[in-house]
Amino acid sequence: MKSPSSELRRARPLLGTIVEIGARGPHASTGIEAAFREIEIVHRLMSFHEIDSEVSRLNRSPLFTPVAVDRRTYEVLSWAQRISALSDGAFDVTVGAKLVAAGFLPVPSNSEWPCEKANFRDLNLLPGKRVLLKRRTWIDLGGIAKGYAVDRAVEALRQNGVGSGMVNAGGDLYVLGASRPIHVRHPEDASRLFSLGTFADAAVASSSGCFTECRRNGAATDPLIDLRRNSALRWKQGVTVLASRCLIADALTKVVRLAPRRALKILAQFGARAVVIDRRGVRYSVHETETRH
Amino acid sequence: MQKSRWIWLPFAQVPIALFAPASYGATYLTVEQAQQAIFPGEKLSQSFISLTNQQVQEIERRSDTNVRRKQVQLWKSANGGFFIVDEVVGKHEYITYAAGLNPDGTVKQIEIMTYRESYGYEIRNADWRAQFVGKNSSAPLKLDKDIKNISGATLSCRHITDGVKRILATYEVALK
Repeated sequence: MKSPSSELRRARPLLGTIVEIGARGPHASTGIEAAFREIEIVHRLMSFHEIDSEVSRLNRSPLFTPVAVDRRTYEVLSWAQRISALSDGAFDVTVGAKLVAAGFLPVPSNSEWPCEKANFRDLNLLPGKRVLLKRRTWIDLGGIAKGYAVDRAVEALRQNGVGSGMVNAGGDLYVLGASRPIHVRHPEDASRLFSLGTFADAAVASSSGCFTECRRNGAATDPLIDLRRNSALRWKQGVTVLASRCLIADALTKVVRLAPRRALKILAQFGARAVVIDRRGVRYSVHETETRH
Repeated sequence: MQKSRWIWLPFAQVPIALFAPASYGATYLTVEQAQQAIFPGEKLSQSFISLTNQQVQEIERRSDTNVRRKQVQLWKSANGGFFIVDEVVGKHEYITYAAGLNPDGTVKQIEIMTYRESYGYEIRNADWRAQFVGKNSSAPLKLDKDIKNISGATLSCRHITDGVKRILATYEVALK
């Protein structure tokens, strides 16, 4: 028998990473099962790789034809569009073709090659959870769905009566209930950890180019595309965002990396904070209303 | 109107220490716990098998992965399902996991049993790995530092994906 204070933990390969879920209390086991089920649903709906996912279906659906999608897909697309508009396109889920061209994603089957100029404005969200595409584009939710999956899993833990636990989807994580210390990896040296502090009921997501497989001319290239320069980024920075929801944290890491100045306002708007680590030091976003009394 | 800005601190002025664990990982399930997680309430019977050279070649051809061990740690469920314990070794990680297959050979469930990560030379060293054999949650490791609460980890499940491909080919070649 486990003592009530001990934490039950499980890990499964999902969302292209290893997802670890921990929970305490008498409902830990059922909570963890339900949380993994939620993540499996998000994986099935939003995978770019799986031919039967809703994202894959959208990527080959006819233009100017409303397509009904699951409420979860609609919710993620709604958040994505909102963040795209706020960041003036620094964040954009229609980035799929560029990621395919850079070798980070496979070419989707049965879909024509997207229009070069297509962007998030060609994706319209209609009432009744329907989506309409105005130009051919390949949607990739890789920059936001993992955070959403974490949020769904946390909700499943809560609904099953778990008051304390954590969900970590390969570094995008949420701490539920009791506070815990959170660390972030150094972007250039994975063995070094940087302490962010102690958090409870908070989401943390990170983005960095160092642990990806693709290397070009010796420099790490990572699956983040700067649509304005139309290229995959090469960089040696680690961006971490703390927010109340993991979806926000996940998406805003990309905004901080691609549009650091504009990101400050967006971070403040969502009550989020960012920490950027590079070889010289650490940058923190400071929002002055936070400290004003 | 709120003002937001970036403030920069060189590492020399960062008050929080950076530290460097040589390795860390987590133990999730013993073999028995993994069996119960994937086949709850079912009785499993151990039936380890050794692959022939010909089978190894065929599995490698079908799965496009290397077979590192000829012995398959296999259990069968009363209902015709299969339970296999396997391990994968990446550049920095060493993972043991359990795969449950339905009687028709489709994947029922995957559970990670242990995860170890290292940035030294140890990961490919047999002695280093051997210290984890037979360990379970009641015999905690000295090195055991959790992977939980680490952001920016971006753990790849590519090796597990390859491992599962190899298991599915093993089913086709040797279990079917």
